[in-house]
Amino acid sequence: MVVIDPAHGGTDPGARGVGGVRESDIVLDLATQVRRGLEAQGFQVLQTRTANENPSFDDRSSLANAQTGAIFVTLHISSTGIAGTVRVYTMSDMAPPQTSGGLIPWEQAQSAYLSLSRKLGDTIQGELSQKFKGSPSNVQTASIRQLRTTAAPAVAVEISNVTVSDKSEMDRMLSGVSEAIVRGVVAFRPSYVTPTVPGIPPGVKP
Amino acid sequence: MTPRWRLGIVIGLIVAVLAAAIYFPILKRRVKRQANVQQQSEEQARRELVQSLTKTTSEPLVKAKLFWALEADDSDLAPTTVDLPLSNDPALRSKQVLDTLLAGPVDSELRTLPPDAALLAFYILPDGTAIADFSEALATSIPSGVQSEQLAVDSITKTLEANVPKIRRLRILIHGQQVETLAGHLDLTGTFPVNSTVPMPASASQTTNPPKK
Repeated sequence: MVVIDPAHGGTDPGARGVGGVRESDIVLDLATQVRRGLEAQGFQVLQTRTANENPSFDDRSSLANAQTGAIFVTLHISSTGIAGTVRVYTMSDMAPPQTSGGLIPWEQAQSAYLSLSRKLGDTIQGELSQKFKGSPSNVQTASIRQLRTTAAPAVAVEISNVTVSDKSEMDRMLSGVSEAIVRGVVAFRPSYVTPTVPGIPPGVKP
Repeated sequence: MTPRWRLGIVIGLIVAVLAAAIYFPILKRRVKRQANVQQQSEEQARRELVQSLTKTTSEPLVKAKLFWALEADDSDLAPTTVDLPLSNDPALRSKQVLDTLLAGPVDSELRTLPPDAALLAFYILPDGTAIADFSEALATSIPSGVQSEQLAVDSITKTLEANVPKIRRLRILIHGQQVETLAGHLDLTGTFPVNSTVPMPASASQTTNPPKK
């Protein structure tokens, strides 16, 4: 199961370009392409939104947290950065989860999945750096609100940037980004061991 | 009522409606402009007050290290050494370096923080947690995106780290309030590590974002 999160939406358009390009619209297009690519590879895919609406951070995380063995990918377009490059982020280091009765606090949901998230991030970033010159070769870390409450291997993919004068320039990038994400998820999937005991991070033998 | 009176009333009403249709947008623009002027004056007054509080010209010049972008559109930071009259008081010293960081480098392309943002207040708690309260412009004027928001916070934490050793972690407030994100991406509900290689005192409070390993 893969949960795709087109960021922003509704009253929040995200980054805006000079030619009326809106991040919220582009990431929705990208999400559809990623979804089709993953479904063609046999994955079940859920989207946090399929229209111009803006679920809360927690609602988006909830969709992934309710699944067993989910992978979470949130999609963004920046308004800065070297145009034509793509960066993948995982959550910055977090304190080890303080489990209570086998449950991980919502606010620390990502902490048990950090190493898996970095593995997923490195795999996708590796694919992207081959396609988009100037992109980093390794995953970056940042304290991203959306990732913190997600209990799954989770990455943010951010394309630079929305300040294109012609939307078709951005559209051309989307198929390459979509293919790289699909290939990254496919390559990561065999190494993802889902938890069998509540509270024990995946990949760790109880 | 005679037809002439009726016609007069109808014409009068039409004239009144047309006048209102023309005048209403003008009035709306004037009200909006007035509100903007007032908001800008308040912000300007606040900035002047903050700047006057942090000026200590009697202090000796110190080589302060400030972190701006390495290149335009780059996500890396580079230190720039600037001679500043810095106070020995950690909170005041922090205000002084952050005000200089906000003022920006010579090359405006290398800015990491919006030019209209201001530091409203700065406190340091006994456990080394610093609280920086910025004006709303920090959140509203910063370019949207993980990269730009991360660069902004990194420039603040690295500048504090280089100049104020007492600080262990930083909490960022926007106009006195804790907000969920800086501009839709970066989490501001926790603290950011500063001077993370220095051992923390045992009483240090737990943070959402602990020091990087």
